[in-house]
Amino acid sequence: MQDNIADGSTDTSDISAVVGIGHTDYVDDYRRVRNGEKPHDSYGYATVAFKKALADAGIDRSEVDGLIVGPTTAYERMGEILNIDPTWGGQADAVQAVFQAVMAIKSGMAEVVALVYGNDQRSAAVQYGGPQAMGGQSFLSYVYHSPWGLTSQGALYALMFQRYKALWDLSDKDLGQVAVGQRQWASLNPNAIMSKKPLTIDDYLAAPYVAEPLRLNDYCLINDGGVALIIMEASRARKVAQKPVYIRGLGRSDLNHQATSLGPRLVDFYRPAQQKAAQQVYSAAGIGPKDIDALLVYDSFTPHIFFALEGFGFCEQGEAAHFIAQTGIGVNGKLPINTHGGHVSESYMQGWNHQIEAVRQVRGGLDQRQVTDCRHVQYISDVAGKAMSVIYGA
Amino acid sequence: MSQQPRLYSPYDEPMWKSIAQGEMKLQRCTESGVFRYPPGPACPETLSLNYEWVPISGNAKIISWTVFHRKYLPAYPAPHLVVAIELEEGPIMVSYMDHDVIDRIRLDAPVKLEYVDHPDGYRIPKAVLAD
Repeated sequence: MQDNIADGSTDTSDISAVVGIGHTDYVDDYRRVRNGEKPHDSYGYATVAFKKALADAGIDRSEVDGLIVGPTTAYERMGEILNIDPTWGGQADAVQAVFQAVMAIKSGMAEVVALVYGNDQRSAAVQYGGPQAMGGQSFLSYVYHSPWGLTSQGALYALMFQRYKALWDLSDKDLGQVAVGQRQWASLNPNAIMSKKPLTIDDYLAAPYVAEPLRLNDYCLINDGGVALIIMEASRARKVAQKPVYIRGLGRSDLNHQATSLGPRLVDFYRPAQQKAAQQVYSAAGIGPKDIDALLVYDSFTPHIFFALEGFGFCEQGEAAHFIAQTGIGVNGKLPINTHGGHVSESYMQGWNHQIEAVRQVRGGLDQRQVTDCRHVQYISDVAGKAMSVIYGA
Repeated sequence: MSQQPRLYSPYDEPMWKSIAQGEMKLQRCTESGVFRYPPGPACPETLSLNYEWVPISGNAKIISWTVFHRKYLPAYPAPHLVVAIELEEGPIMVSYMDHDVIDRIRLDAPVKLEYVDHPDGYRIPKAVLAD
């Protein structure tokens, strides 16, 4: 028992707040790329988003003393383009970037951290499966799985969900609820790529399998775009921003034992890690699952939603399908999930678009998709055995 | 024609040589007796650097499966059935099966490993239903 974590004394509450957010026009970029144009590269998308986030924060670039870039851009080059010479910086994925910003601020290494992400994955025709899979040569899973034909992240989640589905005797319809619910939210989001196409459960079932039991609409989009956030030390944020969105808590726990041979996925469904991360994040924020007004889950594939709901205590083990059907996760549902449409319907920004949706919902004033009295928004991801969560609040 | 797929580490080569000979061997820690896969420098249980290469029985059970409905790799046209199996010796490994047995695939169904030729020129362990 790691006492300081188990008793919830991990103090990550109210160290920092988000004071600015920015993003590119996913819909227009998607349209242009489909027409054969290349509006920007990864750095260009990140720069567009950064300028918007800075304007949203209402601060000058000279105030930024921390810089964290996403995994698709080189740190030094991004800093060169933005002309930021930070006292602390680095490269991280979306949720780890938020954690690192909080840690840098807590330690005094920086006070104003810019998080910037840009990705030209669609125009660059990035492959996430098959012989040319991005970075595949360096991943253990590609070496120890590809001789037998297993090469994509989607297929790993297909394996995981097939076992879950067999253990709990679920149907394809049960999984389809997620894609249908998120598409409802996307229909209210003008910046969602899939905003104009409604999806019924029959449409879902009529679409082909990719890696069974996952169908086309269980997969995230592949698109170009950028996202940026400005995270500021909390007392300074109160002076600068009209409505700072505080980071109320963080939680993280990883499972590495037997990771290559898929033990954490297929034996544990990441649950022990999620339970530990849940304890940390809820203790720090002083709330529990029942207090969450909107839930945002990293959804490269729809099964993530099932594992997040069970691992973080929204429902019991094996109950997620029933919970989703009874509670409702789409528009008018009691637990709104991925209110921007998520990766499967809004935009695949590798978790970065979820962070700015949390901020938008807590700030309030969204049109039709505003969650009523939205005080706490929780983000959950389980990427590669790292169970992580952030709670944002007013 | 290569004799083995691309190696990730120096510990991989004895395993692929044993597969080429039709008798898959895995590392076993001489202190804990724990089998490990994938091959590596130390036993995760004891961190002991001492190990021996021991043939496995080839007996396993299915713990999950997925069918690829698109061709991702030239060697495996769709539909392609990939399985995760738990070896009698403990480790989980990924393998594949002929798609025509799909209706008989169940959790915990017993399988055996056979050794077949991969189009890229090496032998590979493949799972077949045991009953």
